[in-house]
Amino acid sequence: MGLSGIEIFKKLPKTNCGKCGVPTCLAFAMKLATGQAELDACPDIPDAVKEEIGEASAPPVKTVVIGTGDRAVKLGGETVLFRHEKRFENPPAFTLLLSDKMDEAEITTRLKKFNYTVYERVGVVLRPELVAIKAESGDASRFGTLVEKVCNETDAGLVLMNEDTEALSQVARSCSNRKPLLYAANKNNFETMGNFAKELSCPLAVKAGNLEELFEVSEKLIAMGLKDLVLDSGARSAKQAFEDQIIIRRSALLKKSKPFGFPTIVFPCEMADNLMKETMIACQMTAKYGGVIVMSEIEGHSIFPLLLASMNIFTDPQRPMAVEQKIYEIGATNESSPVLITGNFSLTYFIVSGEIDSSRVPSYLLIKDTEGLSVLTAWAAGKFAADTVATFVKKSGIEEKVKHRKLVIPGYLATISGELEEELPDWEILIGPREASHLPAYLKQLKI
Amino acid sequence: MSKIICSAAIRGARNIVGMAEAKYEEALKKWGPDQKIEFPNTTYYLPIIYGMLGIPVSTLGDVKQVMDKCNELVPAAVSDNVWLPYLAPALEAGMATFFAEEIIEAIRYLEEPDFYTKGEDPLPDNIWLGTADDIILRKRGVEFVDGTAPGFAAILGAAPSNEIAVKIALELQEKNLYVFMCADHEGKTMSEQLIEAGVQIGWPTRLVSFGPSYTAAVFAMGFATRAAMSFGGVQPGDFARNLRYNKDRIFAFAMPLGTVTDEWYANAAGAINWGFPTIADTPIPEILPTGVCTYEHVVSNVPHDKIVARAVEVRGLKVSVTKIDIPMSYGPAFEGERIRKDDLYFECGGGRTLGVELTVSKDMSEVEDGKVEMVGPDLDQVKEGDKLPFAMLIEVAGRQMQSDFEPILERQIHHLVNYVQGIMHIGQRSIMWIRVGKAAVEKGFLLKHLGKVMHAKYHQDFGNIVDKVQVKIYTDEEKVKEVLEQAKRVYKQRDARVEGMTDETEETYYSCTLCQSFAPSHVCVITPERAGMCGAYNWLDCKASFEINPTGPNQPIIKGECTAPVLGQWKGITDFVYKASRQKVEQVSAYSLMNSPMTACGCFECVATILPMCNGIMVVNRDFMGMTPCGMKFTTLAGMVGGGNQTPGFLGVSKYYICSKKFLVAEGGLKRVAWLPKMLKEELAERMKPICEEMGIPNFADMIADETVGTTEEEILPFLEEKGHPALTMDPLM
Amino acid sequence: MAFEVPKVSYTGKIREIPLGREGSTVTVGGESCYSFHLFEGEMPYTPKIAMEVYDSEPEDWSDTALEPFADVIKDPVAWARKCIDTYGAEMIALQLASTDPNDKDISADEAAKITKKVADAVEVPLIVWGCANVEKDTEVLKAVCEVCEGKNLIIGPVVEGNYRAIGAAAIAYKHTVVASTPIDINLAKQLNILLGNLNVPDEKIIIDPSTGALGYGLEYCYSVMERIRMAALVQEDERLQFPIISNLAKEVWKTKEVKVTEAEAPLLGDLGKRGILMEALTAQCVLLAGANILVMRHPEAISLVKQSIKDLMTGK
Repeated sequence: MGLSGIEIFKKLPKTNCGKCGVPTCLAFAMKLATGQAELDACPDIPDAVKEEIGEASAPPVKTVVIGTGDRAVKLGGETVLFRHEKRFENPPAFTLLLSDKMDEAEITTRLKKFNYTVYERVGVVLRPELVAIKAESGDASRFGTLVEKVCNETDAGLVLMNEDTEALSQVARSCSNRKPLLYAANKNNFETMGNFAKELSCPLAVKAGNLEELFEVSEKLIAMGLKDLVLDSGARSAKQAFEDQIIIRRSALLKKSKPFGFPTIVFPCEMADNLMKETMIACQMTAKYGGVIVMSEIEGHSIFPLLLASMNIFTDPQRPMAVEQKIYEIGATNESSPVLITGNFSLTYFIVSGEIDSSRVPSYLLIKDTEGLSVLTAWAAGKFAADTVATFVKKSGIEEKVKHRKLVIPGYLATISGELEEELPDWEILIGPREASHLPAYLKQLKI
Repeated sequence: MSKIICSAAIRGARNIVGMAEAKYEEALKKWGPDQKIEFPNTTYYLPIIYGMLGIPVSTLGDVKQVMDKCNELVPAAVSDNVWLPYLAPALEAGMATFFAEEIIEAIRYLEEPDFYTKGEDPLPDNIWLGTADDIILRKRGVEFVDGTAPGFAAILGAAPSNEIAVKIALELQEKNLYVFMCADHEGKTMSEQLIEAGVQIGWPTRLVSFGPSYTAAVFAMGFATRAAMSFGGVQPGDFARNLRYNKDRIFAFAMPLGTVTDEWYANAAGAINWGFPTIADTPIPEILPTGVCTYEHVVSNVPHDKIVARAVEVRGLKVSVTKIDIPMSYGPAFEGERIRKDDLYFECGGGRTLGVELTVSKDMSEVEDGKVEMVGPDLDQVKEGDKLPFAMLIEVAGRQMQSDFEPILERQIHHLVNYVQGIMHIGQRSIMWIRVGKAAVEKGFLLKHLGKVMHAKYHQDFGNIVDKVQVKIYTDEEKVKEVLEQAKRVYKQRDARVEGMTDETEETYYSCTLCQSFAPSHVCVITPERAGMCGAYNWLDCKASFEINPTGPNQPIIKGECTAPVLGQWKGITDFVYKASRQKVEQVSAYSLMNSPMTACGCFECVATILPMCNGIMVVNRDFMGMTPCGMKFTTLAGMVGGGNQTPGFLGVSKYYICSKKFLVAEGGLKRVAWLPKMLKEELAERMKPICEEMGIPNFADMIADETVGTTEEEILPFLEEKGHPALTMDPLM
Repeated sequence: MAFEVPKVSYTGKIREIPLGREGSTVTVGGESCYSFHLFEGEMPYTPKIAMEVYDSEPEDWSDTALEPFADVIKDPVAWARKCIDTYGAEMIALQLASTDPNDKDISADEAAKITKKVADAVEVPLIVWGCANVEKDTEVLKAVCEVCEGKNLIIGPVVEGNYRAIGAAAIAYKHTVVASTPIDINLAKQLNILLGNLNVPDEKIIIDPSTGALGYGLEYCYSVMERIRMAALVQEDERLQFPIISNLAKEVWKTKEVKVTEAEAPLLGDLGKRGILMEALTAQCVLLAGANILVMRHPEAISLVKQSIKDLMTGK
């Protein structure tokens, strides 16, 4: 457990100067305590204090960044073993593996697919994040050419995989501005690789044959002054990898083990002989602590469910996800389609829209901003009160889309129906079912 | 304990055991010890003997040890000049009675195989059903477990007339009880009376004609004993658990109709072992104090028209009302309906006429369940547009009812009345307002139907604390004024009660873990002077909530030894919170912001935090959207504080708690408060006054800054200095 | 500093619950560690998968889900047999969907008859799942309990509103109950306490903390399952030491994402494989969170999950 906000506050300058972007030192301290701000934002903390606070408030799993600009990927930064204890911070980076043994056309196709595989859900962009380029041909120039090609065709972050440190360093130098992850230091080459990564300020992967070896090499690299490591325990079976991931995370959190206090890299691509199975393993790694998850292919049917899993697991349990306030048209709506309204808690939206969809009754779903609260909670907090609902309905533009004036409200909110009728004198307020699962039956019998 | 009853029971038991002994000897001679004896189609042998003693009687030879046990149990006859016996020997005599009667009935099955029919329904030439086999037991037993049949009435004898017999049977059926009938009174049995009156009897109608003799009472007791073994997982021979299971779960009682003979006494004494009391129509001595049974043991001389109600009350049976008998639809979907002027037929209260609603608790004997009294004109006697004064006085009684629960029940009137289609209800107490729409009146709705609604809903929703409900509805001005006067007195008492309640006067506080679904380690501790931070639950609410739902989110906590009076720490609270937070929260203070403050869920009304420069505290409520001097808006603060974590310097609080004498005692209480949003300050003004006076700073409220003074510490500090705010000179907060 | 494996000290253990009739029971539970944490505890019984069978021909199913069962969807008995004979089902989950008053609303007797037929035709443990309408389920599941006496069915969902009635019938006719609560650890615990008070034996209770599909609230049930396991294994919460069931197939297969064709949404890829992975990944997540019984639909999804269980248990 890090320092409390008050403990941090006591060490701050208490000037309320606002240079950090928040109005008071107290507010800044709270942000630091909850990991929402960086210490560097305060220009006035003495270095000694900075180190003290930094030490105590840094997450036990260090945050490591791969790539730059818009496509920089943050990994690690984790503070808990179970998401319900607080939240998981940085979702895993699904990574496309390309080998310099593949033919060029194949590579082009795969890269293209990688690039256009981008989804948007609840306002969040979901995509595979990194490209791993692996030297398998033994030909340093092929490797170099491939890296160059990838650099040209995508802005995504890179993982450079080459056992030949010499070849790796050459190529890495050419693209070090992209902050690629260098794969990998091992017990034999860690000094060379360590110095090299330091020189280029690139994150460095550590590969070992087992946890003990990993621990030792990582410890040595830390001693050399490396700060951005990514761990590969060498496990290449689902069971071993599962165990290693748990032990690494637990050591970091419970034992404050520094050598294990880094994100990991895992290789489902080397653990299965088909994409379906590989996807299952990747899913396992998503739930249990994988950082960079390297996949042999990026295919919609596999990566989309994986990204959903990742999004679910990494949703902040204390901060409900919300969808945009607007009119959602479900099915081929027309001017006499039913109009329903509910709150913008994402789960509410997904479930309600799903049920409307399966009812096959084309409908307008009005989603009102309830700050992500579910309907009843929103009502209790005054976010689904008749007056604000009425304002939204009037401004939404629904009156231009439908001829009728019937509005279905959630069954649990029958209590606002009277007030709402007063606020919306042209509208007839209908009480919908209490459970979304009863919507199809309700809509089928509804007469507009 | 009545010596008369005990003596009679012992005499009866001696007779019955003697009779069994004679039968047994005779049968043994005739059939020999290897002869099988049994009740048909059961795996429970002779169930009372099996359940109590663990002896599986399957041959005549097995009976010997049971007879020995009977003789061991039955006490000697009671001499007239000793002031004994007490209850225990009578209970043992009763137990022996059942063993003996089972033997008698088992031998009857052997000697007269066709004495009883073997099925669910009586036959044209034989109405006596005898013992229930295992198929009937399982099918009917389920109803006893799930509460669709809460229990049974074991009726001995017969009613004075067929009509009375029918009426009693019908009333028992209405309470979903089974009626187990045996024995005759002056040659007449209740079973025969019902048949003569054309009532269909048998298991399907729950009117079970076990047998013509009082010994058939064992079929009822055997049924109960088997139910415990079959549904309660009670092992044969574990008599203590078997009897407790029956006392706690099978709402049965004996109802002797007619002269109570010694043998009947013996059976009644036996039934007390199972926790089944006796309610008699004849003037026999009573055994009122509780002990073995939940409430009274023997109640006598009850008139026939009251006997079922009295039995239900004595056995502690809960009334279930499934249907609300009114001409309108009823349900939450109608809660928000408005009745507009054009639709209005009738209204009362709301400043237009006198109006009042009151729920009070009364003694059990003063309330007649289900009674609705209407004085003054009802809706069928008024014209459209009329207004009348209105009073609804709800009187409840219950063994678990406490006067503290009155306001909680009363608060329900609003939504329960609103659930009626075509009715609008606003407000409460003497500011209530009801509007009835034209459509409701057309459908035949009457004000007295509100009584039916309240009766049904109180039973449905508050069955754990309410046993009886009667409702008085008045539109007669004099009567309304009476209720209004009564209400004023009651409100005053209630307010005094709440005022008088302090954290020191109560030993039990309550937990609330309702929010653990999203704040896993959050445990709210609610004391009389510190309501839940959501503002929705105060100590009394929690107390009632626990009575209503004993396994729910509000659990009592014995506070135990006070380990830190200023911080508000108690041993019992610490232990409870540690466990209920699943080992996350090791120490919690009820009265401190800085030192182990309470965790927060997310639903708090306000957040309190420190203002370091001012050496003070600020509180901001959820409705205040603007910036505050701590540099964070409410929403930001809420994000920092919630989720079940302890965040020193930040605390979720209810509005009510701000004006409590226990408000952040550790930091100096209300005196520390340096900033409040204007609207909150105004809302609290009235309640703040006495506290300020007590502090010796009557104008303290004026010293508290608000957003009109400033929304940064720099802005408000000069104001505080100018006003001489006490926080500036108090001990440093940090 | 030498490296040391930080182990959790477990103080509790999940109850072992034998399902199905005597002679062919399948046991679930028994874990003394978090799921698959075999380096620090035991998982004596692997998680089991129950294959779904519907009481009448399903409507609105995607082709992917329909295809493997096209020849049997009209006949629950044949369907169940196919699951066992062709796909090696370890359990069957009969979904009494047509009892729903909002659907076909078939009577309790009819539902009980269908159940009896299926129960008589299968030897593996049979889960019988109502339509989640409190009143109707009471009626239906009571009737089911009665006609299937002694088969130790797994009956659900049993909720706060009907636990007494269904619990009593389960006691009388010796079945196991699924205690179902809406994603809340305290409500789950409370219902288990209530069932205990009713005298439902502890070896006859399975927890259903509710399931959401991938992308549809999966995270809520994932976390509630992890919390239940944590409470059971390390926080000495005895009333949560029961195996967990996840009735996930019907949640997954009603989502939009398993129905949109590749032509409509090219980015979502192959429709068939996508549906299978949506189901398999939902299963994988709840499996890791602590589920002991998964109710699943597609044979290929099932085989992926079985493989995954095997991999995690044996390391190949």
